[in-house]
Amino acid sequence: MISLKRKALVAAAALTVSALALTGCAQGGSAGKGGADATIRIGSLYEPVNLSNVAGGGQGVTEALSGNVYESLFKLNDDGTISPLLATKHEMSSDGLTYTFTLRDGVKFHSGKALTSADVKASIEAVLAPDSQSARKSSLEVIKSIETPDAHTVKVDLKQRSISFPYLLSYIWVVNADAKDLAKKEDGTGPYTLGEWKRGSTLTLNRWGGYWGEKAKNAKVVFSYFTDATAEDTALTSGRLDLITSVQNPDALPQLEKSGKFTINDGKSTTKELLAFNDKAKPFTDAKVRQAIYSAVDRKKLLNAIWGDYGTLIGSMVPPSDPWYEDLTSLNPYDPERSKTLLKEAGLANGFSFTLDTPSYDPHPAVAEFLQSELKKVGITVKINTISADEWYTKVFKNHDFEATLQEHVNDRDVVWYGNPEFYWGYDNPQVTKWIDEAEQASSEAEQVKLLKQANRQIATDAASAWLYLYPQIVVASKDVSGYPVNGLNSQFPAYNIVKK
Amino acid sequence: MLGYVLRRGALLIGSLVVAMIVIFVLLRLLPGDPANALLSVNATPEQIAAARKQVGSDQPLLAQFGTWTAQMLRFDLGDSLITGAPVGPEISSRLRVTLPLTLLAFGIALVLSVAAGVTAAVQSDRWYGTLLSGVAQFGIAVPVFWIGIILVWVFGLGLGWFPTGGFPPDDWSDPAGAFSSLVLPALAIGLVMGASLTRYIRSATLDVLGSDYLRTARAHGSGFGEALWRHGLRNGAVPVVSVLGIELATTLLGAVVVESVYALPGLGSYLVDGIAKHDFAAIQGVLVVTTLLVLLVGFAADVVQRIVDPRLRSSVGVAG
Amino acid sequence: MSRRRSWSRRATLRLGLALVGIVVLVALVSLVWLPYALDDTSGGRLSAPSAEHLLGTDKLGRDLLSQLMVGARIALLVGIGSVVIATIIGVTIGLIAAFAAPWLDDSISALLDVAIAFPVLLTAMLIVALQPPSLGSAILAIGLGMSAVIARIARILAKRVVGSQYVTAARTSGTRTLGIVRRHVLPNIAPTLAVTLALQFGAAVLAEASLSYLGLGAPPPNASWGRLLQEAQGTVLEAPVGAIAPGIALVVLVLGVNFVADGLRDAADPTRRRRRSA
Repeated sequence: MISLKRKALVAAAALTVSALALTGCAQGGSAGKGGADATIRIGSLYEPVNLSNVAGGGQGVTEALSGNVYESLFKLNDDGTISPLLATKHEMSSDGLTYTFTLRDGVKFHSGKALTSADVKASIEAVLAPDSQSARKSSLEVIKSIETPDAHTVKVDLKQRSISFPYLLSYIWVVNADAKDLAKKEDGTGPYTLGEWKRGSTLTLNRWGGYWGEKAKNAKVVFSYFTDATAEDTALTSGRLDLITSVQNPDALPQLEKSGKFTINDGKSTTKELLAFNDKAKPFTDAKVRQAIYSAVDRKKLLNAIWGDYGTLIGSMVPPSDPWYEDLTSLNPYDPERSKTLLKEAGLANGFSFTLDTPSYDPHPAVAEFLQSELKKVGITVKINTISADEWYTKVFKNHDFEATLQEHVNDRDVVWYGNPEFYWGYDNPQVTKWIDEAEQASSEAEQVKLLKQANRQIATDAASAWLYLYPQIVVASKDVSGYPVNGLNSQFPAYNIVKK
Repeated sequence: MLGYVLRRGALLIGSLVVAMIVIFVLLRLLPGDPANALLSVNATPEQIAAARKQVGSDQPLLAQFGTWTAQMLRFDLGDSLITGAPVGPEISSRLRVTLPLTLLAFGIALVLSVAAGVTAAVQSDRWYGTLLSGVAQFGIAVPVFWIGIILVWVFGLGLGWFPTGGFPPDDWSDPAGAFSSLVLPALAIGLVMGASLTRYIRSATLDVLGSDYLRTARAHGSGFGEALWRHGLRNGAVPVVSVLGIELATTLLGAVVVESVYALPGLGSYLVDGIAKHDFAAIQGVLVVTTLLVLLVGFAADVVQRIVDPRLRSSVGVAG
Repeated sequence: MSRRRSWSRRATLRLGLALVGIVVLVALVSLVWLPYALDDTSGGRLSAPSAEHLLGTDKLGRDLLSQLMVGARIALLVGIGSVVIATIIGVTIGLIAAFAAPWLDDSISALLDVAIAFPVLLTAMLIVALQPPSLGSAILAIGLGMSAVIARIARILAKRVVGSQYVTAARTSGTRTLGIVRRHVLPNIAPTLAVTLALQFGAAVLAEASLSYLGLGAPPPNASWGRLLQEAQGTVLEAPVGAIAPGIALVVLVLGVNFVADGLRDAADPTRRRRRSA
């Protein structure tokens, strides 16, 4: 669930003259017509790997197809809440173990077939299938059985209570059960059908006249894919694009701002830069050592060095858009004196040294160098070991063979991973695990929020990891367009409300 | 002559086979399993096995080589491990950037170096002849990507004459946009390559100037310019053509580096990307295509050299 | 002509030595003194050149001059390291070919021709991809990439010596091959080979800069000039010095060794030596 590819794709950005790409070479590319028949041209760094969300389609397929071509029982809104979509209502049994969903009437797939409960059952089962590569597979293993009493009703039995079950379903596309070859074709219920997908270049969506709800406000959406953030910026400034979904080269922003032609939307992000310790490896077994390191790092300065004036400081794994967010930045404040005291208490008054496994793509190398410099001041020596994304996967994630590492974690609501002692960072606090389990089985959202707040406060106090900063989520758009999502939650990018003047 | 071409052709094929084996073996020595590139971080052992099967890394090495060779013979370069897209079409679409860039840069280098090299030789006792030699010396010492950065700064940002990076998404269907995207990178490569060629051309011209036949021709009443043109060009071209092949290959490599400066979607950025992500299929594909190009250029240069140099026609060797 | 030529050649050599000398001096100084420690981030983001920071600072607030000085050390290390590797491998192969049976000699030289067709950087990129990035693997990669060039030249030079009368004489008087190599071949090929080695030194420095620039060279916190350029180019508008200074440093060093090579070529030129001894 940690997106490695996302950043690997933009690693090339570091190689380029990012700031330079932004002078006005406005030749080429007409602005296109506006109004209801407009074509919206979107630039993205995340081309789908394939078109399936259960066969490793990656972040790009979610961005292009979620909500646009495929819909789910529930919709994840840009503010992080969910609302009914293909399910008009749902009921939970009093023991919380049975959910009954009623499907919307009059919904058709693009192929013309009407939506039935059998399609929903098949769609959920596809996520749970042995060969499924869905990131949501493990969360949905809570499902015991799925029944379809009639064509409009889906009944799901759970092994244990799961308060976030409807939320989890917002990630699951409803696909025609009879459709084949879904890696290359689609059959969803969304407001767009898939037009042409030119690999390595563009993916086109066409407005679908047979959509059950309000029709899309534009006729066509073209996603243009870039492997290079600078090239993407140039395309935007030269009028070849209307907007780009996620700016990854901060050096470009001052020039974009200056040009006055673009709106820079500083949205709510869920992507966190983590200094993750191996909490099962000495000396990181001692919370004092982790706290000492966290307090030794001037995060404000770091964020400024990497992102200039963008981004947010966080004190825990929970980003402000999660319901259980609280500002915990003061728990382990930047305070080298506290750091030294803690090290003394941990019996490491003379410092120690550790190896930091650093992914080779931006921003990790720069972050590593910064940490090296900060930690030296409290007597800790950092050895930087640069590794590729796939080495990270094998060495750190699979084999837990590391002392500390840097990684960006993109998902929302992912603090729950600290409840799993087997996760790569090896944080094992039985009390926290218990709270997180109880939160998932809570009977009300208030209870869930209360328990997760409690758990998160403990995790943050223990400095299970050092949460360095929250990436900004920046959508840059021409001033002619509006109606686009700005928060990029779950990497989705619903395009049906975008209008062009 | 035909015999030479055939022998040289056999060497070309032999070299290609050797290069293919080397590329294959080297890439299998890379640490990590290529299948890893396909997996999300919470992959299960079953998913890993499935990915390995898909990539073919569960097969014995010899079987992998057999499959690969068979694919190559069908001009199939396999599928990228990262995007799943076939590598062949990807490379051919990227050649639409890299080849024009290389040729444009090479053209610039040739024009600059012939003008500068001949002038520097003919006017070697004038101050500007010396200056030209000096500038050429300087040019050889300059990293091509640095020239790239400076050109962007001056002509892209400062003067705003050319785009500073990127390539039109609809590539050559926007010819003006595509061409203007290539001007600065081609200039960066052309300047550096031109400097290095200038030295060869200058010394070839100096040799011609000091040669007996030129003196003889002038003694027989030809004008200096005419003598240089009629006798000097052909004789001077011989040593120059022999380095042109290598220089063209170097220009191609210059393109590889400069594409990174200008964010051009060419072969070079594909290779750098592939190396960073351990995308075996992509690296392999780029190397095979580059090897083929380099060897073909070498072949062509040797044959051309034969044609322009009558003295070589009788000799047997293929080296050089 | 010849007097002016020899004057300008000597001047070239001196200028070259002076340029290289500057870099060597800076590298030596960097061993004992730096304006700021490399990991000192107190300078503030992208400060302009000032009395405290003569060349300004980078994004993390580190002093650029200090990084540039350490870069000199790395550049020299890369040049020396890869040339030594290339010389050991190249001269060995070249000598083997020169003394080998004709069929082996022909096969080696055909292989060398294929290898030389590939620019050093491409070979180095491939080799670097095989290992975790480090300065050592970059040096090794460049050294291996360059060894074919050295081998070819060593072979040609050695063959010339092997065919000469005094080697034939030495052979008939019973000197073993290794003895011939040591007493006749190496001393005779050394002067001309030195010119090539100097040129390759410059090429190695440029190749490493390119590798680092592409993100395939030594990993941070290695202040290779190529890496400094890569980091600085994104902010060239805000801090142009960072994108200019490392380039100038590269030019000074490479131009310097090229000048030295030119000067050496003159010294190695047998016609001039004869003239001198006459």
